[in-house]
Amino acid sequence: MKTLVCIKYVPDTSEAEVKVNPDGISVDDSRFSFDINDSDNYAVEESVLIKEAQGGEVTVFSIGPKKSDVMIRMAMAKGCDQAVRVEDDRIAGHDPLMVAKTLAGAIKGHEFDLIMTGCVAVDDGHMATGAALAEELGVNHATMVKKVEVGDGKVTVHRELEGGMLESVEVELPAVLTIQTGINEPRYAPIRGIRQAQKKELKVVSLDDIGVDPDSVGSDASQVVIEKLYIPEVESTAEFLEGEPEEKAEKLASILVKGGLV
Amino acid sequence: MGNVLVLAEHRQGALRDISFEMLAVAPGLAGNMGGEAVVLLIGSGMDEMAKKIAGYGVKVMVVDDPLFENFNAEKYQKVLSALIDDLKPALLMTGHTAQGVDFMPALAVEKKMPLVTEAIGLEYEGDVLKVTRQLYSGKVNATVAFKPADTYLVTFREGAVEAPESSAGADVEKIESPLKEDIPYRKFVEYIEAEVGDVDITQSDILIAIGRGLKEDKNLPVIEELAAAIKADVAGSRAATDAGWIPHDRQVGTSGKTVKPKLYIAMGISGAFQHLAGMKGAKTVVAINKDPEAPIFTVADYAIVDDMFKVVPKLAEKLKELKG
Amino acid sequence: MSTEIQTFTEKYDLLGCIQCGRCTGGCPVTVRANLNVRQFVYDAYNEEKLDELARLAEIWDCTACHTCAVRCPKGLKPLEVLIGLRSMIVESGKVEPTVRDALQSVLLEGNPWEKSRAARSDWMEGLDVKIAEPGVEVENLFFVCCTIAYDPRVQAIAKNMVRLLNKAGIDYAFLPEEESCCGSEVFTLGEEGLFEMLVEDNTEYLNEYSAKRIVTLSPHCFTTYKTHYPDLKTPILHYTQLLVELLHEGKLTWKGDLQKRIVYHDPCYLGKQGDVYDEPRELLKSIPGVEVVEFDRSRERSLCCEGGGGKMWVESESKKERLADTRIKDAKDLQADIVAVACPFCVMTLEDSMKGLGFEEEMRVAEIMELLGEHIEA
Ligand SMILES: Cc1cc2nc3c(=O)[nH]c(=O)nc-3n(C[C@H](O)[C@H](O)[C@H](O)COP(=O)(O)OP(=O)(O)OC[C@H]3O[C@@H](n4cnc5c(N)ncnc54)[C@H](O)[C@@H]3O)c2cc1C
Ligand code: SF4
Ligand code: SF4
Repeated sequence: MKTLVCIKYVPDTSEAEVKVNPDGISVDDSRFSFDINDSDNYAVEESVLIKEAQGGEVTVFSIGPKKSDVMIRMAMAKGCDQAVRVEDDRIAGHDPLMVAKTLAGAIKGHEFDLIMTGCVAVDDGHMATGAALAEELGVNHATMVKKVEVGDGKVTVHRELEGGMLESVEVELPAVLTIQTGINEPRYAPIRGIRQAQKKELKVVSLDDIGVDPDSVGSDASQVVIEKLYIPEVESTAEFLEGEPEEKAEKLASILVKGGLV
Repeated sequence: MGNVLVLAEHRQGALRDISFEMLAVAPGLAGNMGGEAVVLLIGSGMDEMAKKIAGYGVKVMVVDDPLFENFNAEKYQKVLSALIDDLKPALLMTGHTAQGVDFMPALAVEKKMPLVTEAIGLEYEGDVLKVTRQLYSGKVNATVAFKPADTYLVTFREGAVEAPESSAGADVEKIESPLKEDIPYRKFVEYIEAEVGDVDITQSDILIAIGRGLKEDKNLPVIEELAAAIKADVAGSRAATDAGWIPHDRQVGTSGKTVKPKLYIAMGISGAFQHLAGMKGAKTVVAINKDPEAPIFTVADYAIVDDMFKVVPKLAEKLKELKG
Repeated sequence: MSTEIQTFTEKYDLLGCIQCGRCTGGCPVTVRANLNVRQFVYDAYNEEKLDELARLAEIWDCTACHTCAVRCPKGLKPLEVLIGLRSMIVESGKVEPTVRDALQSVLLEGNPWEKSRAARSDWMEGLDVKIAEPGVEVENLFFVCCTIAYDPRVQAIAKNMVRLLNKAGIDYAFLPEEESCCGSEVFTLGEEGLFEMLVEDNTEYLNEYSAKRIVTLSPHCFTTYKTHYPDLKTPILHYTQLLVELLHEGKLTWKGDLQKRIVYHDPCYLGKQGDVYDEPRELLKSIPGVEVVEFDRSRERSLCCEGGGGKMWVESESKKERLADTRIKDAKDLQADIVAVACPFCVMTLEDSMKGLGFEEEMRVAEIMELLGEHIEA
């Protein structure tokens, strides 16, 4: 089984304060910590689990800066065999389809049975790369996958639907799957493993190397343009209870009881 | 320009809320774009559903064919591809749902049409289609503009707007399916219902919902004690179910359950919109979170900015006392 | 890093063990958990059994209190056998998610709390803090600690220290936000590779500074630097040692008084491991009005609070009474008003128990720096 896994290095903004830069169209990321995108991490684990069960190899693909190498080495420490990182300043714009176009360019020429990506990147949240990539490569796909069973020339996957329901779907290989969090429990990448992974091949390529026309994935080609970023107003009508923690608890308790809510 | 084509979504014989929600946006937008809103239904045995959605005063076109008994992204893509050539809509809108995201990006690549996903607002202004969407898990809003194109593709977030009231009925037109035979490379197998556990949170009157802020399962007993004191059931965010702190069937949100309790107490939950979508039916919402900026506060009626572990024990104690 | 491959037996000197059982006899967690460290020292001699041993849940019950090491007549460190077994699990990647996230955060952000490195010095906001620069001479170079830097509950330790130093006019500087985790918990969690990396990187980093001594605020950093950083050129002090020195020089004076009965809890990392017992007590006694009382189990025999050994990220299966609960109940029996500690982890575990036991009204858990901070002259 030859698996490719596409991953992205993203800021962790779950607890961080996000500020819009004075230009109004970008975000100040100087104080963020960065890590592998959450659902991509599950995709890496799933690809390694499949390799462990079926044999084969896993190749990492990523578009990103040099500092994301640590993420790639961690994926290698977990069991991925080699990696290709596309680094090119000319890739720009807010068009969800251009990521797929670039990845497709990098992937062309690589044999694969299965490609896995996370189902959504937490920074721009497009949820489009996997399915678009499949179309670029002319292969099948399934998104939002919470279970993968590899069969003969096909995979049976469970897709997560709204309302806590799953849909079981059979897809012929080769195919792209976008992986949803919770499908497995990603393992830890020990440092010794990361050090050993330095020996594995990590190819850094530019758009020219992969034969993708820079004009087709640059800001001029982007069919979508960010006009303005802003922090959504917290239009809360909530009554904020004040005081020491204990006082707040007491106030809330009496509101709930007096209001007949409990 | 042209029409706004709204793909209505349905599953197991019932239209999904997003289908109606998009009708709060599409007609006005279509007017501005110099066309009208048209609903497209793809499925098998669609008469009832077609009638129902036509009851919102929007023309409905139906592709009714046994090949569409169940959702299949590849088949949808084929049909939509052909219909776009035929109907030349100015905009095709679908839900940003497990269905919509499964074929829209591929369709966009195939048709070389621009795509914006997960819109929460749409506006047509000076010949430019502008979309409001969110970045960084809802921490930043973005207004993005499409460059001019013949047909735009947009997926629209569930629960972003309220569905309009139904009005006078409109026409239903059946159109022939452009797809003539089944495809072999992707097959629907079955729906799998989430296991039903001991508690059905969709029926609960009071829910205490925990999130990643719980940190570890050893902190669960404090919560359970509070729950016992007010006869609440414990639910949670996906972070809480992923961590295994509570069973999966207790997850509230887009990929979990939609709940409508009288009282919803969210603790250590940031309030990602996927979560908020599942609890917007709650009558009274209490939020406890140490981050004053947490989006959960936007939907709260009563808010406490603090460490939940400092508040909860006292809250349980006081509630027990007051309820005697 | 030595390149020769040692066997488990050689690495931990297992043949030196005489199976006297003093280690297990003194191990505090035996009352809660099924841990028999002597048995592990014995069984680990059989290399073939190591995998099986590593899978036993109780290897994660050790709090790294070092009682066993202190008691061993042969100078062994029995706990390190357990850490060695933990490291086998770490190398396989199959650790608890909490442990995984903490370790990964140390690698990526230099702290185990999953906080951004850029926020490490945020606690300094609004304070007049002198920041160290490489090569610039300074007498006392302060190392803050990840927990004190990020956890608002214990940031007072650092903040009060700054106020105190400024007031006393001491030559000092704090490390900037490039300061990284000392690796104390990384070591005990068994992530040997990451720990080696931290030792290398931190040694190089700290050696760039020209300080007479490095003063740590947490005893975990203190002991870790003292025992695991052979190439560090600057001597390491715990802050209580520095402050006692200043006290003797007459540079510290307190305003007001504190008419309280205080029991001092010896943190394992400061006492048993750092051999610092008297300084904290002397500091407490220097506050006018304070009465210091002693636990029955104090100094070398001090009961562990279960905060170390990576236990911040690994929960015991045991439902039996936590050692911190025992400690707080003992303090209650002594009618202590304040349980004073000199460690951020002890603050967390003991305060948690104090609240859990419902003693909040009548008792307080405080780090010595918090108490001193309340008596700094304006
Ligand atoms: C396709 C898809 C479907 C999804 N479906 C769902 C869904 O159905 N339901 C769902 O919930 N999520 C869903 N998610 C995930 C969602 O995006 C969020 O990641 C998730 O809801 C976050 O959970 P959380 O709020 O518990 O965690 P976080 O966002 O990490 O928030 C934790 C919060 O706890 C607070 N906190 C931490 N410690 C404390 C403390 N001691 N006291 C008080 N507050 C504290 C923090 O300030 C923070 O605000 C989905 C995601 C995707 C991509
Ligand atoms: S370090 Fe402490 S807890 Fe660990 S084995 Fe030794 S005595 Fe027991
Ligand atoms: S105390 Fe030392 S010599 Fe005695 S059993 Fe334990 S390890 Fe062996």
